[in-house]
Amino acid sequence: MTPLLEIRDLTVRFDVGDAELTAVRELSLVVAEGECLGVVGESGAGKSQTFLAALGLLAENARVEGSVRYRGREILNAPRRELDTLRGRRIAMVFQDPLSGLTSTLRIGRQLEESARRHLGMNARQAREKALEMLQTVRLPDPKHCLDLYPFELSGGMRQRVMIALGMICRPDLLIADEPTTALDVTIQAQILGLLAELRRLANTSVVLITHDLAVAAGLCDRILIMYSGRPVESGTTREVFNAPKHPYTAGLLASLPSLATDPATDLPAIPGQPPDALVTPRGCAFAERCEHVMDRCFAERPLLGGTRGRHAAACHLVSP
Amino acid sequence: MTPPLLSVRSLCVDYEQRRAGVFGSRARTLRAVNDISFELAEGETLGIVGETGCGKTSLGKAVLQLVTPSAGRVLWRGMDLARADAATMTKLRSELQIVFQDPLSALNPRMPVGEIVAEPLRVHGADMSAQERRAAVADMFERVGLRAEMTGRYPNEFSSGQCQRISIARAMITGPKLLVCDEPVSALDVSIQAQICNLLRRLQRETGIAILFISHDLSVLRYMSHRVMVLYLGRLMEIAPRDELFENPRHPYSRALIEAIPEADPERGPLDIADALRGEIPSALDPPSGCVFRTRCPIATPECARTRPPGEGVSASHRVACHHWREARSQPL
Repeated sequence: MTPLLEIRDLTVRFDVGDAELTAVRELSLVVAEGECLGVVGESGAGKSQTFLAALGLLAENARVEGSVRYRGREILNAPRRELDTLRGRRIAMVFQDPLSGLTSTLRIGRQLEESARRHLGMNARQAREKALEMLQTVRLPDPKHCLDLYPFELSGGMRQRVMIALGMICRPDLLIADEPTTALDVTIQAQILGLLAELRRLANTSVVLITHDLAVAAGLCDRILIMYSGRPVESGTTREVFNAPKHPYTAGLLASLPSLATDPATDLPAIPGQPPDALVTPRGCAFAERCEHVMDRCFAERPLLGGTRGRHAAACHLVSP
Repeated sequence: MTPPLLSVRSLCVDYEQRRAGVFGSRARTLRAVNDISFELAEGETLGIVGETGCGKTSLGKAVLQLVTPSAGRVLWRGMDLARADAATMTKLRSELQIVFQDPLSALNPRMPVGEIVAEPLRVHGADMSAQERRAAVADMFERVGLRAEMTGRYPNEFSSGQCQRISIARAMITGPKLLVCDEPVSALDVSIQAQICNLLRRLQRETGIAILFISHDLSVLRYMSHRVMVLYLGRLMEIAPRDELFENPRHPYSRALIEAIPEADPERGPLDIADALRGEIPSALDPPSGCVFRTRCPIATPECARTRPPGEGVSASHRVACHHWREARSQPL
């Protein structure tokens, strides 16, 4: 079956002054119909850039190579008109900062109605009803009143609900949520994650959850892709990745997270060193300098994310010798 | 009896907000910290947790007199800091230090990091020669896990984790007795957070420094703290030893916070939307009457709107401000 979204060998480079920064390096991934893929990595891992590039949303100084197929059709460098019907209608994005995703000078209702009229061809009355229905779906308190408010009049959690309502109004096939709860308080985060899980169940929308927070991904995702320095380093089902991580980076991250079960009397097993510089392209494995299992080969030869599609795999010489 | 290292009594912090209106400007008062009391012993870490607007940062700053409390007292070894004269306060500053959330903005970008770390010594260690200062800085660099030859570089040449080490070195160089850490790992990458947590704990073991550890992340807080204080809208909800608070929380808000922690465990699944705490955090400008938590509390009664629950002792070391803490345990959240 054709996957919903298939990215092959995506490379994203930025010209920065006289240097070149490689944000994403030869990345491939697949999002199947109805599934939730978690893309996990630290700042600079390339997780946001991957999807901004796939949807043609990057700045002018970006150079993108590779292939991005939506239901089998190539959309990388597709004409603007084709992308416009896709973005918003079939693929929606929710960002970390909902203020930047909403228009600050338009009332909430107006923004939702505009999307309904433009993408769903509704008349004014239908669009108004649809907008109200969406605010109810995302469980905004007093939705009727909220239609007439401006984004700045809402709290961060309420704004994120509006963003999700805006993303879901056309019943997209794919919702890309980029750190949707990172700016929120823990109890509000729990509400939003519960809401995303519920919307998935109701609308069978595929979700890509971009996050730095392994715990957030664990609760929502079917499959996980771990990125490090622009490359995928591990992929598998959520259970496989969390219960039996193959890549030393994944294992290190999981071990270093304090949880409610951590013994406070012992030191946290921290990963030593710093994340690498994106301006430098290492010959071998980007994680080699921080890895406790490092071998000579790791500096000379780049490990690839082996395995056939869908299998638990890690880009590490330890697992795929 | 010797007084405790730090004793905070009924502390309040107010901010005045001026709003221009037709009939001149009107001032509204936002009470960020409301009647908070606690003590801190040498070598102890007290974790302060709460969500946006709960007053945790204001409390940390008021303890250090970086904002002026509007009521209440901060006693440092029994001495009221509000009454200390300028000369005494300057001297005391070497004992009271702070580390902020965003390490890069906390460091002067035009100053070599060695000078940044040496600056407190210039202010507080007047009798040191330049050579002694250099030696002290080099020694401090090693202690926080940086190489001494890095002192000539500028902040932008360091990663955020290294910048936080520099901030910690600057705070620790005068040999303080109290360190206020305001979300010290929240801005750092996951793989760096553990390094900084370990560093702070090692420095505490080496020096016996007391730490006020402010964080919204309960997992990190639990790992770092001996005791934990839970704040909501400027009020103290619950304070207890770490294990007591996490294993036997009495306040419905503490329980909700602990429930809401996402865990890196795929078996747990997402929190059921019905179990998540309802509603939004009210505005601190217009807090609810009675118990400030009642608008989101699953077990609130009319009583909670009428009177504010006093802080009651569950045990000598465990205080909770809830009318229903005795029944709350058996109630599902």
